[in-house]
Amino acid sequence: MASKFGLAGGIPERRVRPIWDAVDSRQFKNALKLSTALLSKYPSSPYALALKALILERMGKNEEALSVCLNAKEILCTSDSSVFVDDLTLSTLQIVFQRLDHLDMATSCYDHACTKYPNNLELMMGLFNCYVREYSFVKQQQIAIKMYKTAGEERFLLWAVCSIQLQVCCGNGGEKLFLLAEGLLKKHIASHGLHEPEALSVYISLLEQQCKYGDALEILSGKLGSLMMIEVDKLRLQGKLLAKAGDYAAAVDVFQKVLELCPDDWECFQQYIGCLLEDGSILTKETDPINTRKPIECNNLHISEELFDSRMSDAVNFVQKLMVEANNNSERCLYLAHLEIERQKLLFGKGDADKVVEDLMQYFIRFGHLACFTSDVEMFLEVLDNNKKSEFLKKLVKEYEASRSVSTKALGQSITVFKVQNLIGDVFALPVDELEDIAAQMTEMFCKNLPLSKELDVQESMYGEELLSMACNLLVQLFWRTRDLGYLLEAIMILEFGLFIRRYVWQYKILLVHLYSYWSSLPLAYERYKSLDVKNILLETVSHHILPQMLASPLWADLNDLLTEYLKFMDDHFRESADLTFLAYRHRNYSKVIEFVQFKERLQRSNQYLMAKIESPILQLKQHSDNIDEEECILESLRCGTQFIELSNEIRSKSLTFNEDLKLRPWWTPTSDKNYLLGPFEGVSYCPKENMHNLIKQAEANVLKTVEKRSLLPRMIYLSIYSASASVKEKIEANGSAVVPKLSVELKVLLERYAKILEFPFQDAVELVFGVSSGQKPFEGPNPDIIDWMNFAVFLNAWNLNSHEIRFSDGSSTWNLVNTLLRKYVLEKITSVGPIASSPGNEIPFLVQLVTEPLAWHALIIQSCVRSLLPSGKKKKKSGSVEQLNSQMSHEIQISIESLCGTLEAVTKWLKEQLNKPDDVFEPIFSSIQRNEKGNGPGKVFKMLESSVSQMKDVEVGDRILEALQSWNPADVVRKIVEGRGSLLSEFLKICELKIKSLKALRLQL
Amino acid sequence: MTTIRRFCCNDLLRFASVNLDHLTETFNMSFYMTYLARWPDYFHVAEAPGNRIMGYIMGKVEGQGESWHGHVTAVTVAPEYRRQQLAKKLMNLLEEISDKIDKAYFVDLFVRASNTPAIKMYEKLGYVVYRRVLRYYSGEEDGLDMRKALSRDVEKKSMIPLKRPVTPDELEYD
Repeated sequence: MASKFGLAGGIPERRVRPIWDAVDSRQFKNALKLSTALLSKYPSSPYALALKALILERMGKNEEALSVCLNAKEILCTSDSSVFVDDLTLSTLQIVFQRLDHLDMATSCYDHACTKYPNNLELMMGLFNCYVREYSFVKQQQIAIKMYKTAGEERFLLWAVCSIQLQVCCGNGGEKLFLLAEGLLKKHIASHGLHEPEALSVYISLLEQQCKYGDALEILSGKLGSLMMIEVDKLRLQGKLLAKAGDYAAAVDVFQKVLELCPDDWECFQQYIGCLLEDGSILTKETDPINTRKPIECNNLHISEELFDSRMSDAVNFVQKLMVEANNNSERCLYLAHLEIERQKLLFGKGDADKVVEDLMQYFIRFGHLACFTSDVEMFLEVLDNNKKSEFLKKLVKEYEASRSVSTKALGQSITVFKVQNLIGDVFALPVDELEDIAAQMTEMFCKNLPLSKELDVQESMYGEELLSMACNLLVQLFWRTRDLGYLLEAIMILEFGLFIRRYVWQYKILLVHLYSYWSSLPLAYERYKSLDVKNILLETVSHHILPQMLASPLWADLNDLLTEYLKFMDDHFRESADLTFLAYRHRNYSKVIEFVQFKERLQRSNQYLMAKIESPILQLKQHSDNIDEEECILESLRCGTQFIELSNEIRSKSLTFNEDLKLRPWWTPTSDKNYLLGPFEGVSYCPKENMHNLIKQAEANVLKTVEKRSLLPRMIYLSIYSASASVKEKIEANGSAVVPKLSVELKVLLERYAKILEFPFQDAVELVFGVSSGQKPFEGPNPDIIDWMNFAVFLNAWNLNSHEIRFSDGSSTWNLVNTLLRKYVLEKITSVGPIASSPGNEIPFLVQLVTEPLAWHALIIQSCVRSLLPSGKKKKKSGSVEQLNSQMSHEIQISIESLCGTLEAVTKWLKEQLNKPDDVFEPIFSSIQRNEKGNGPGKVFKMLESSVSQMKDVEVGDRILEALQSWNPADVVRKIVEGRGSLLSEFLKICELKIKSLKALRLQL
Repeated sequence: MTTIRRFCCNDLLRFASVNLDHLTETFNMSFYMTYLARWPDYFHVAEAPGNRIMGYIMGKVEGQGESWHGHVTAVTVAPEYRRQQLAKKLMNLLEEISDKIDKAYFVDLFVRASNTPAIKMYEKLGYVVYRRVLRYYSGEEDGLDMRKALSRDVEKKSMIPLKRPVTPDELEYD
């Protein structure tokens, strides 16, 4: 049965080679022809069939491919011993089955082959691989053990051990299974020893997971320990195990050895200090916190004061010794080590803050010019009180001024001074004009130092690039304080200038993405985002800069691109991840096996992934909401929304992961659902870093709620359409089918759930929307909440059309309720958006959402009613009373259409006014940064930029920079903002106009 | 101040500040994971306090006979941590693993012919231009194959530059 020389799947290779070649060169038609010919010669060859299936699948003929595959499977699984079975056939079939989403069938083919030819390693490996693809850890283990018994090879035993570890880490296996794995390994080692370094790692990790540190240490220092080739890695592991075992004294010795070998290893130094203080918490640090910021640890040490003193003096001596030995001054670790010792003393209550300041100064003198200085010392500044912090800053300024010179080092130092000032929070307390001065100074400094970069390649970072980001941060703060848009424009201006000089600075681009988004120039924000070239895994960590804004925008085509690309990346990864896991198995990198499976799970539970999965169909529904027939097709493809209901049910039991890298977000919007600029200035005591942790937790809780809520939408839309049409039909066919009440009940249940997510009992929710629409109750929630309530009202009306359960005291209908609410909020927001020249237009996303979601769903419900009122084909003879009822309904619908059209026309009128006069807008915006005569308000930074640019044109800055300086035109920046905003509004206008058109067409039908 | 350790999957979620740099390519997942699955010792990351990623190196070991060698696929450092010789440290680590553990003859790497700053850096680290590969980058720009001999290549034969440039299809490996 095994592949014979020159045979492929039992067929002479020369006969199949042309098919392979045709497939490889993507000539599928030709390949199919050749494969049909081959099949006529070998009609019952599974391999020939598998090849045909493969070609069909590549041609997109999935059903045919599946049927051919099943045919091959049937032949393979007969008991006929003349059927040729080999791994090539099976793996070819496997590929097709996998692409057709039928992993189980591939597994069953392999399973059958393994039974038919027991002890065939190649087939067993294939079967193992099938279980890896299915994530069936128990079966993986069983087949691996079988292979181990057959071949006696160490690697198969480790495949089994890994499969056991996976059962515990990623499956539902209990920890007792570790004992089994340990037993297997012990037995093997006793008779055969171990030969692979990774096998040793697995063994140690297995013991570590069971807290058998002593055993692990014994093995590491025994004969097997020699498998670890890198000495320092072995020592690190030893130190960690000793500390975990509570033998801190021995751990200290080991960590000292590591530091002697790698004096710059900061993590090791921290472990060393932790062990000196007999504090094991450093070893159990949170695994990979992307965003979590550890608050200052409060020392809860159990050691006595005397012991503390003597241990710290040991540490000081040890660091001294290392410093003498180290001949390389560029290693920061040892200098920071001193600071860390002083910090520990302060935390213990025996420290000297002056000493910390002194050490910080020493560190500044040596490393103050480095871009990482501030992030290096952040944790040490945190332990100082405000007075000491200010004292440090003063010393810093003095020191820096004393050594002032024109050099890259001096520039680096001055940037550090600015950064420290920002970190300490001092800038928040400064008066407006001082802040302006600092921002202007930064801008000037950037320009004046351009000559330093004259020799640099355009690809290389320039000196002082950070200055413009920092100046931007100050200007945004000035805007927050004063609400003067001029500051915002200055912020944009300097960043655009920076990009004009060197177009690659991603930090500027991210800031601009947020500034343009805020200023309703979303197309421009998206352009800047695209220039970041975010792809592959960065889609998971970086798209949060743009995705939330796009979700509430009329830029549907771009949003669709974003969602599609992201979902494709994630789904591709989920598809290929198991094969890569198997690759790790094959190359005996067992620790990676577990890592890969855990990583896939982490991505699968990504909140952003879930969000995209629900937002992508909602987008489709929005795009087709003007045409009920198309909408119904979409709903059908979404299983009428039921799959999302399942998602919504599960969401609370899922522990979602948050993989967005929030560190790169600007200060004013630390998470995507928080933007300080949307609220009033929070005063000088405001310090965003302090509450970062809470903000993240809050954002995470909100996401959960949002996903739960949004996943109800498709089903509610489906049920509402149904309910609306049933409300008409019911009157026509006096006795409707039994399905209708069932669906109506379901809609009620979902409405109750929706209300519950909004933290209201159903009845109270109904009263609230009624109260708001009749003007009796105010509703002052944030914008997203209003959208939710609107959706609730719209679906409530749809449900009520059929159930007639809600009757308001004033006799008004739920139709009226929805009409009024929609009009009320649209008009309110149009008024508050304000003229484009003087307002950032923060209400525009809300207006867009209002029109494209609740209003659109309401229009759909109207379409559904109208369609049922006017059945195509022969009309049934209606009784008088039914006709009367229908004409009443038709009247309500006409009013509703009138009202919606009126509401939408108010929007289009406003949009046209905004769009009509771009030139009128340009002037006031641009003049907002031309310094006024009184000399106050924005403009100082811009003026500084202008004068610096003209001065630098006469200085030697290199051809490239000179050319940029000469062609720089600030008016272009303003023009682009106006255009960007214009194209956003035009897109919105198009959507509104289409809606009006479709509603008017509907009215004509009545 | 620099902890250098093996790169792991979770680091992919934390390297945005390094990879947003336009010269640093963000590969697809199977590319990274193939390297992790096959050559985990050649994929290292440097971390600063607060778990900030400073930079990383990825590479592999391949070849037959005397062309058994370590290869640097990518080495990159975040802007914040440049000009501190971190790339050198990472390169040295990869060279040491190629030399001591895998007993390779040399280490090589490819660089854009226009990337003068990088070429200068590699030269400082002891690499020489072994040959020019015509239109190696997207069929447009030439690449330079730079090499550094390891202790096993006693006579440093692997570093003797070729006289003529080669085309990408003449390369032994991808």
